[in-house]
Amino acid sequence: MAFADIFLKTARDRWLGWAIAAASLTLLLLLGMSTYRDIDLSVYTELPEAFRSLLGIGDSVDVGGLAIGYVFGSIGAIVVAVMALVMGAASIAGEERNGTMGILLANPRSRTRVLLSKTAALVLLTALTVVVMWLPVHPIAGLLSVEIGGLEVEALALHMFFNAVFYGMLALAIGAVTGNRDTATGGASAILVLSFFAVGLLPLVEGLEGLRKALPWYYFDGSDPVFNGIAWGHLAVLILGAVLFLIAAAIGFNRRDLRGQSVGTTLLDRVRGNPRLNRLVGRLAGSARVSSIRVKTASDYQVLLLVTAAAMFLVMGVLLGPMYASLPEETLTAFENFPEELIALFGGGDLSTPEGWYILETFGLMAPLSVILVTAIMGAGAFAGEESRRTMGLVLANPVSRHRIVLEKAVPMALFGILVGVATFAGVALGSVLGDLGMDVGSIAATAALQVLVGLVFGTLALALSAGTGRTGVAILGAAGGALVFHLLTSLANISESLGVIAWLSPFQYYLGSDPLINGMDWGDAAVLAALSIVLFGLSFALFQRRDIRQRG
Amino acid sequence: MATEAKTESGSIKDAAGAAIHTSGLTKYYGKKRGIENLDLEVRKGEVFGFLGPNGAGKSTTIRTLLDEIRPTAGVATILGLSTHRDAVAIRRHIGYIPGDLALYPNLTGRDTLEYFANMRGGVDWSFVDELAERLNSDLSRKVGDLSTGNRQKVGVIQAFMNRPELLIMDEPTSGLDPLVQREFQTMVREVTAEGRTVFLSSHTLSEVQRVADRVGIVRDGFLITVESVADLRSKAIRQVEFVLDSPADAAVFASVAGVRNVIANDRQVEMSFDGDMGELLKAATDRYGVADIRTSEADLEEIFLTYYKSDRED
Repeated sequence: MAFADIFLKTARDRWLGWAIAAASLTLLLLLGMSTYRDIDLSVYTELPEAFRSLLGIGDSVDVGGLAIGYVFGSIGAIVVAVMALVMGAASIAGEERNGTMGILLANPRSRTRVLLSKTAALVLLTALTVVVMWLPVHPIAGLLSVEIGGLEVEALALHMFFNAVFYGMLALAIGAVTGNRDTATGGASAILVLSFFAVGLLPLVEGLEGLRKALPWYYFDGSDPVFNGIAWGHLAVLILGAVLFLIAAAIGFNRRDLRGQSVGTTLLDRVRGNPRLNRLVGRLAGSARVSSIRVKTASDYQVLLLVTAAAMFLVMGVLLGPMYASLPEETLTAFENFPEELIALFGGGDLSTPEGWYILETFGLMAPLSVILVTAIMGAGAFAGEESRRTMGLVLANPVSRHRIVLEKAVPMALFGILVGVATFAGVALGSVLGDLGMDVGSIAATAALQVLVGLVFGTLALALSAGTGRTGVAILGAAGGALVFHLLTSLANISESLGVIAWLSPFQYYLGSDPLINGMDWGDAAVLAALSIVLFGLSFALFQRRDIRQRG
Repeated sequence: MATEAKTESGSIKDAAGAAIHTSGLTKYYGKKRGIENLDLEVRKGEVFGFLGPNGAGKSTTIRTLLDEIRPTAGVATILGLSTHRDAVAIRRHIGYIPGDLALYPNLTGRDTLEYFANMRGGVDWSFVDELAERLNSDLSRKVGDLSTGNRQKVGVIQAFMNRPELLIMDEPTSGLDPLVQREFQTMVREVTAEGRTVFLSSHTLSEVQRVADRVGIVRDGFLITVESVADLRSKAIRQVEFVLDSPADAAVFASVAGVRNVIANDRQVEMSFDGDMGELLKAATDRYGVADIRTSEADLEEIFLTYYKSDRED
């Protein structure tokens, strides 16, 4: 039976990722609940309604609600949605990319049947993930004696499940229609990230709140399911969306030619047919830039850099300046009386100042994440990527030493990390000017520099793991998992005194720990981060020099 | 430390005249054997065929020679240089096609060649164009859009393009059509005519038979034999068929030394034979009148299978 086979194969391919995600989220919930238990929560009730929704906090505030709202309502929901999305993108387009779709369809199964089996596997595995995440909630609450009886945890889990299925089916549909896995992953992720942030940000601007209803993320937590229970109307929107995606996928997949292994004609190729656009597109797509390993490496990741840098510059930088200037007065004044520990909870984002606004929205999470995204993908791809594509043997047959290859791969990685930082700096500086916020340019530059340095720590971690193991998955999971755990540790340590000492183990402590956006550069912190990167970079040399090149991925 | 350096330079000295020299080369993947105690010498200017069934250790040997993987024991030199210590220097003088070739799908054939040419230097582009024309390869298309055979052509051009002193090719003709294979064989002969060396692995024996001077047969990680193609053939099994004047008795032939697999069918009798032809003729003519004899030389395929089979029976 096709479904059972596809289900089992997908489960086999992905169990490690789920296990790590479930374990991290359980740890997060444990840390979250024990941390929130220690602080006085009365201040929450004074938060403006709009702001509470931004943080996923409901009307009635208690420890359990906060922890679950934080862990499930934002991080958990994103993790599950991303996992469903990756699964969805791999479902049809991934098989084509691996060149295995031909064999699969050579069996007596129609395309629709294969699509339905893939969909069923996606839905069931997403359900399984949500169940695995939900299972420890009650035991943890019991263990820590946190009262969660009044919370609709199951309703939240159900919302989380349909939300994840929505993004999974979106990615599956894009993949089924285009046959391009990267387009599917990229397109669905972009919609997920944008709608997540927009749902949080729109209520802050008067008159725009209604626009949230146009965004899919609104139907996940717009109704505050953890407090208000299941909102069937909202779930119906998500289900309807998923069904429409399935129909689109079925039509698209049945009509088009299957792609051969790897490429085929891309949209870029068609645009390139126009000679006037050809040069520009050639630059953007990074084709035919083969003068050396570092140039090719750079051109391979040009699109990633451009998209990330543009997003940081425009959305996380320029746009937020005028937006802060237009925030209603009461939102800002509400913050002036807040205790420090609550401000720390938002990553040091004190909304009464523009610096605090930018810390909360840009520098707290997105800025380091953007550098980590670009450098960790490049670091992981450096060796492991070539090995899984089996091109490393050919590269090594040329008169270049392994040391040289490490260098030629690492230099573009560091450069791209710096460029993301430069884009962030330029965006925030321009946003400050446009919003007339009067932020110190030197301090913005210092923060962006530290942003690059902390990102490079995880980029070089991915590089070292890639050099040492030759496995892309290990490198990406290691760097992303490391970043998640340390970021979390730092956030929680800022709230809870008892974690203070551990926090110094986290690279993120050396990033915003000195409040660089207010105080300017802390050279000691910069030195610690730079030293960490250099050690990991050196380790990459040693590890790659020693080991056997893998023949397969 | 000093002793180690001495022995290594000693073995390099011994190997100075050879294109490839391995001594006690062993590679284990964990507990799984890749190759065991491989002693091999490939002379300059020859075509050396490296034969073996799938999983025999051919690719392991080649990947060890290229310093992609490191030997568990033993040493290897290429053109007198240590494969590990002088890996970069060696790579200035070699061309390589990996088994199961993979290239960058988003690059065109020409971009691919340019990429490697920039690393290697010394590539004459008119020669590249000549090779592309001879192999009928369209270098303007993206590698990802090419069929397996056309992708392989790009790999072949890539290996030949800088006129390397030594070509190491792991199953280079897989996916190529017979016409292109013939052109490839011509190209290989041209290389050796210029005094350069070719080391190619294959499980398609007919291919090696056409181009190789000497052949090494590897099985289960062990090098079973190295012989010249001519020697292999001369000692080889023949297929002999007699047409006699009266119905044949298989036992008459089976008793002659070197005769195997006798099949008698009325006046016709067939056998495999690797003994003294005089004795066989005498046995036949003593008893029968011989109307016709046909013998055919067994190709390497049969020789190979014989080695393979006899080893397995041990």
